[in-house]
This record gives sequence, C-alpha cells and structure tokens, in this order.
Amino acid sequence: MQIIFNINGKDVTVDVDASMPLLWLVRDELHLKATKYGCGKGLCGACTLHVDGQAFRSCSLPAVYVAGKQVTTLEGLSEANNKLHPVQQAWIEENVPQCGYCQPGFMMAAAQLIQQNPNPTEEDIKNNITNICRCGTHPRIIKAIKRAAQIQQSVKPATNGRG
Amino acid sequence: MAEDNQPSKKKFSRRKFLKRSAIVLGGTVVATYLARRPIRRLIAETVEGLDLPSIISTYKPMFWFEVRDDNTILMKSPKVEMGQGIFTGFAMLAAEELEITLEQIEVQHASTGNGPVDRMATGGSNSTSSLFVHIRQTAAIMREILKLAAAKHWGVAPSEVTVQNAIISSGDKRITYAEITKITSNWEMPSTPKLKPASSFKYVGKEVKRIDLKQKVTGAPIYGIDHHLPGMLYAVILQSLYIDSTLKSIDTTDAEKSAGVVKIINQKDLIAVVAQNRYAAETALSKIKAEWDVPKKWHQREIDEMVTVGKGTGTSVQNEGDAEDVIEKNPQLVFKQEYRTPMAAHAHMEPNGAVAWVQQDKATIIIGTQAPDMVRKQVADALNMSKDDVIVEVAFPGGGFGRRNNLNNAAQAALISKIMGKPVHVFNTREQEFLNAYYRPNTHHLLKAVITKDGKVQAITHDQATPDMMIKTMAGGTALSLLGADFISAGHGANIIYNIQNKSAKVWQAETPVNIGIWRSVGIFPNSFAIESFINELAHKTGKDAIALRIELLSGNGQINKRYINVLKTLQAKSAWGQPKAPGTGCGVAIANDRKTIAAAVIEVSVANNQILVTKVTHVTDVGFCINPEGVRMQIEGCIMMGISAALYEGIYVKDGQIATSNFHQYPLATLKDTPQIETFILSGADEPYGAGEPPLGPIAPAVAAAVFDATGKRLRSLPLTPIP
Repeated sequence: MQIIFNINGKDVTVDVDASMPLLWLVRDELHLKATKYGCGKGLCGACTLHVDGQAFRSCSLPAVYVAGKQVTTLEGLSEANNKLHPVQQAWIEENVPQCGYCQPGFMMAAAQLIQQNPNPTEEDIKNNITNICRCGTHPRIIKAIKRAAQIQQSVKPATNGRG
Repeated sequence: MAEDNQPSKKKFSRRKFLKRSAIVLGGTVVATYLARRPIRRLIAETVEGLDLPSIISTYKPMFWFEVRDDNTILMKSPKVEMGQGIFTGFAMLAAEELEITLEQIEVQHASTGNGPVDRMATGGSNSTSSLFVHIRQTAAIMREILKLAAAKHWGVAPSEVTVQNAIISSGDKRITYAEITKITSNWEMPSTPKLKPASSFKYVGKEVKRIDLKQKVTGAPIYGIDHHLPGMLYAVILQSLYIDSTLKSIDTTDAEKSAGVVKIINQKDLIAVVAQNRYAAETALSKIKAEWDVPKKWHQREIDEMVTVGKGTGTSVQNEGDAEDVIEKNPQLVFKQEYRTPMAAHAHMEPNGAVAWVQQDKATIIIGTQAPDMVRKQVADALNMSKDDVIVEVAFPGGGFGRRNNLNNAAQAALISKIMGKPVHVFNTREQEFLNAYYRPNTHHLLKAVITKDGKVQAITHDQATPDMMIKTMAGGTALSLLGADFISAGHGANIIYNIQNKSAKVWQAETPVNIGIWRSVGIFPNSFAIESFINELAHKTGKDAIALRIELLSGNGQINKRYINVLKTLQAKSAWGQPKAPGTGCGVAIANDRKTIAAAVIEVSVANNQILVTKVTHVTDVGFCINPEGVRMQIEGCIMMGISAALYEGIYVKDGQIATSNFHQYPLATLKDTPQIETFILSGADEPYGAGEPPLGPIAPAVAAAVFDATGKRLRSLPLTPIP
C-alpha cells in the first residue's frame, strides 16, 4: 500500500506491504542505515527511532503506523547537517562507542530521555534505558547521557517536536 | 620503554633486517603506487622471499600505506576493527614514524585485493602487539623514502632534510608528501632508519580518543549489513533448529506464493528464500514447512555428563614436583572442590551475514569477519574459483567476541548470488544466531590441594573437562587427537600460576553434540573462575587474607612475579579491600595472567532479595607497554561489563534437542542497571605491549563469586551465580 509520511524533515511516499516493519522500510527502501536490526522482537533497542517525538523500537512497528506521521532517525537527529545533536556531541566527548552497532539506538533513546527529563539522575537513566550493548560501553553511555543533558541545557532548546 | 630501546627481543641480523625492510617496501608502494612499474616489480620479486611475521601473507606485494592527494595517509589494516580500538592504536604508531598528525591518517580495513592480508584471524588480543614493531618500521622506511626523494629533487644532502606534519623541508624549501609522490618516478631505498625512542613519542602513551568516533556517532553505513549494491536481492537461509538433525521433508508451496519472493532455492545443503526485501524473505521463510529428522533429542543433563573430569583421557598441561603423589599420600589433608561453567552465546549485536556479488570471473564479498583470508578460501572453494578471483572487503563487524571466526555464511551468500546472477544480502535472524550458532563450551573443574597442618599449600591439582574450542574446526580431528586435548584455546589458563611446590594441571577432552567455538578470553574465562574461586576458598580455609595469600604465592625474582605483586599491591591500595562493610555487602578478589597481561580486580557486591548487584569494580591491569591508555581503559570497562553479564546471567542450555534460547528475552545480558562504579588502573610492567581486549575479563566472575560469599556466607561454584535463597 501507499504510505505517505515525513522522515527527517522530508515528505516521502512509499509503496510497501502495510505490515513491513518500519525498520526494514527505513533501512532498505529509504536507505537510511543508522537504524539497526538487532533482534526483530523489540528486545534490544538497536532499531530505536522517533515517531512524532516518541521513541519506538522500529523492528516491531508496522510501516502503516507511520502514515501521516513524522519519523526521525539518527541521520535526522541533528538540526543541521554539520551540527551534532547534544547526545552525539556527548557521545564523542565521552568516547562511547566500541563496535558502535548498538549506539544509534542508545542515542535515540537518550535523546528522548533528555527531552522528557532535562536533568536525569543516574537512576533515571538506568531505569529508562533498557537497550542492549555487548561491548560493555554501559559506564560511558551513562556518563554521556548526563553530559548530553548538560549540553542541551547550555544551548537553546534544540528540539522542535521531531527530536 | 627504555630510551634507546629498539624493538626488544627482535634484533635482526642485517640480512634479516633487509629482508624485513623489504616488506616495508610494500609500504613504500604507497608512495609509488601508480605508474611506478619498475618499483612494483622489484617489490613483487623481493616480497616473495620474505621473512615475515607468520600472520601476514607474503604472496603479493602489500600496500600498507597510500599517500593521498590531500596529503593525508591511508593505512590499510590487515587486522579487523571489531570495536577493540586497534585502528586508533595503529594510527598512533604509524603517525609517530611518518611524522604526521593523527588528523592526517585514516585507517581502513585492507581488502584481500588491495592490501596486507592476515592469514590467521583477528583475535587472541594480539593485533597491536604483533604489529607494534612492524607498523613503525614500515612507516619509518616510507618516511625516509619520501625524504630521500625530496633531497634529490632539491639537490641537497639527505641530512639537510627534515619532516613535520607530512611536509618535508630543507632551509626555506617545502614540499608535501603528496607533492613529492606526484613528481617522483625513481625512488631510492634508504638505509635502515632507527626507530624513535619512547621519549620522543608524540602520541604513543597519550590518551587518544577513537579515530572512528565520527562515523559511529553519526550512523555511517559501515557494517556488513548496511551495504547495498544496485539490483541487490535479500535472502534468508533455512537453518535447522535441532542439534544433529537432517532435513526429512520440505514443502515450499506457500513460501513460493508469498509476496515479494523471487526464488526459493532448494538444493542439497542450501535452502534459501530470495526476495525483493528482507521482510518478504523472512515472511516466506516462516511459510516453509520443514520436517527434521532428529535421531536423538539431547538434553542439558546429558551434555553436562559428557563434560566431566575423568571421562576419556586427560592431557597433562603442567606438572611440577609430584602433586598427585602428595595428594594420594595425604588424604586427610586434601581439600577439594568442583566448579562448572555453562555454555554461553556471543550475542554480538550485528547478526552474521554477508553481501555477495558473484560475476563471471570474480566474486566480491562484503562481510564483517574476524578471518578475511578464511572467508576468501571458503568462497573460492564453494564457487570452484581461484582464490585470486575472490575479493573480500572487510566491513566493520558489529561485535565479534570470537563469533566471526569460522563461518560458512559468505560461501552460502556467494552460492545464492551465483544462482541469482545478482548481488545478494544474506544475514541471519537473531533467532538463527541463538539457535544455530557455536557457543562457549560448558566446562567442569576439579581442584584439589594439600594443606599442611601449619596452613601451607603443599600441592595443588586442577583438572578441567571441556569440549574443543578451535582445534577440530581449524586443523581437523587428527590434529586434536595428536594434541590429546584443546589445551591451546579451551584449556588456555588451565595451569596454576602460583608458586606451589607440587602442582599439576590436566585438560580432559570432552565430546558433545553442540557446536563449540571461541568466546572472548577463550579458556581464561572458565579456568579463572574455577582456579581463582578455589584460591579464595583456600584463603578462607587457611584463615588468610585472599590478597595476602596471593602475594605470598606469587612472590619471586622473575619479572612476572614483580608484575603480579605490583598489580596486587596497587589493588590493595586503591580498592576498598579490608575496609568495614555494611551487612549484605561483600568484597572479593581475583587475578589472572592472560597472554602476559596481568589483570586483577576487587569487586564489591550487595545481595538483597536473592539479587546480586555489583556495586563497584576496582580493576588493575598490567598490559606491558601501553600505547593508548584510553583505548585500554575502554577494553577493561568492556571486559568488566561482559564479565558481570556472564557471571550473573548468561547460560545456553539444551532442551528437547534444541538450544533453549531463541532471542534476548531468554538470554538476559547486563544492562545499564547492572553498571557498577568502575575504577581502572593501568600499569606498564614491560617495554613491549601485550593484549588488552580479553585479559581484563579473567578476574571478574571469580571476584564476584567471592564477594557474594563474603556478603552471604554462601559459596556459589557454578555460573551463572544464582544466590541460594
């Protein structure tokens, strides 16, 4: 079926099976590869992206769900092409990734967390982010989320509803 | 590292060095890459007879570095960056001798078609240590070649030429590496340059962030699964979900009618759905009705029984003094315990798979693998093609941990591409990763010690039963029979490091029906858990402090003894060891020597409602010469988290002929909630680098177990640790 939606600020029309997981639509039809396949069952969070500003695990979201909605992937997280989102800046400052595969999902989950909770405590972070990382970047992810919150507060609110 | 220390223990004869420097000629091709036929031929001829580190193939001229037009250097790495940070270390080492900044170098994976080929696999925590001298030599010779060319160009003596940041100068004359490369046609070989002493290092030894950060925080399509070729189709392979099973019958009628399906391949040993997209492929796969012939439905109990000390024959891996005799003669003084570790999954985040494009006369494979040269051979064999016509382009793997060593997925992808005449993208589902993988082996350990009446440990024996991790798959069953047991990988770390007069270790080779392979730190993980747990029990039994006992048993005059003691004393000073504890909390210690890197940890836990929470890890690692403390620290943190995960949660079990885990809901891993406070201390007890990717993992599980005992008084001798209510 034809699905019209907005992705990273651009309107797109796709013709796919309505039940195709959003993950594969984004990756293989729209060729935005930052959103990762990890488990296909909404368990690991590698495929996390935002729909109308809310974090979703896109492997378990049918394509039809996003009709008429705004989808943001890591590629569209920063407002301008050459400017990184506070989460991405913090990820660089804390030197977070190892293999890096799970990090887009963590960054998308973190971006939503600091938008909803501009000053999360360590407990808030631990309770809210349930993604999986196998390389063991956990301690740096926690530090980076705290730092991202600080960066976000030090700049003008960077999100406009699609962050 | 000593001031004037050239590569230690690697003093070459002049002849040998010339030969070695010729490899480096491969490097100089860098500069001479295009339209420099005579030099390329010279190199091709010279390279054939090289005396190289055995891991690097010699059958073609190797191009380690390229000077690019923008005056940056591209280094092609034969080793794979799986997240362990080696590209950053390589860039630092190369930059030292190339006299460039870290911004002026990019490191990429060599494809088998354009750069140095690693005939073995990336693993064993040896990527950086094995190339520590080599990269610098290659870089130094290349720098000298570029300088010689500039001196000749200007008509000045080579001694009057200097270089900084990829710009060569003499007096007020300046020329960049890129410029001199463009205008030079006849290159001169330098005499052997001396390597920079450690005191002159600009980058090595400093805290340097990963050079692949930008790609990894912007979501660049760098993994195998991200690759897309024009006209590419998506395939998934039908895999058996039972151990030791064969396909009995198959009905693909419904699958063939499924939307988006291009073809169902139904051949002996290869059944696959090829579709327009991944969703269509997965959907059709679920519609294939397959019946499996499962002659025996295995259960975990049977697998555990097969892995039992005393079954089959034991192969001695250590025998000093007469431990068995001392034990036999003093039955009343013998203290013994048994330990078990379960099978475990790698659970790397990017499932295995490959993109393949097989054409008439060549095959291209894009894959995140630890073993590109093996992939190349498997694909060549499967296609009946010359290895020379198979190009393996290594993508960044989304985690490795041993799970990307030996797989036939590239060969299967290549066969599918050949059948379809198009590029194909063939990746496992997560369920396939869990159900049809190879796993860390389950192990059984028996430790015995004779404790004299005055509390001295007079003898110790360790018997480990384990399936083979690597030998059979890599070298065949005959090799394993000759060795007696896989003491190289599965039995790695089975020996006793302590100075006990009578000590022995044996590895009992077990056969199980489950596929087994290497898992981060190979045998160190199970062996450290067993041996270090036992040492902690010995300390308790003899009423000694667990660090003091280790210091007593590891003291000596060797360099290794000094390193052990330094690690333990640092740990004692920096951790909460010996300090008062709140009720329900505990503190444990363990140490391991994994391929010369010594790692020890003091771990604090709290136990409440039968839940173990690791609250703090103080970790001391002596990695020898440390190239990038920040990179080593990341590996230590990773090992701590993987160690906590494996100690508390992980186990793979067999039920009704299947692996009883299909996805992450049945395989919990440590998450952010399990993150303790972490303090790391890196020591440099040697002038050469050892490994850092795996060794820090060794002490984690036994230290957690000891801390749980300290908190609860309960000894847990099987992993994962589950407190007894």
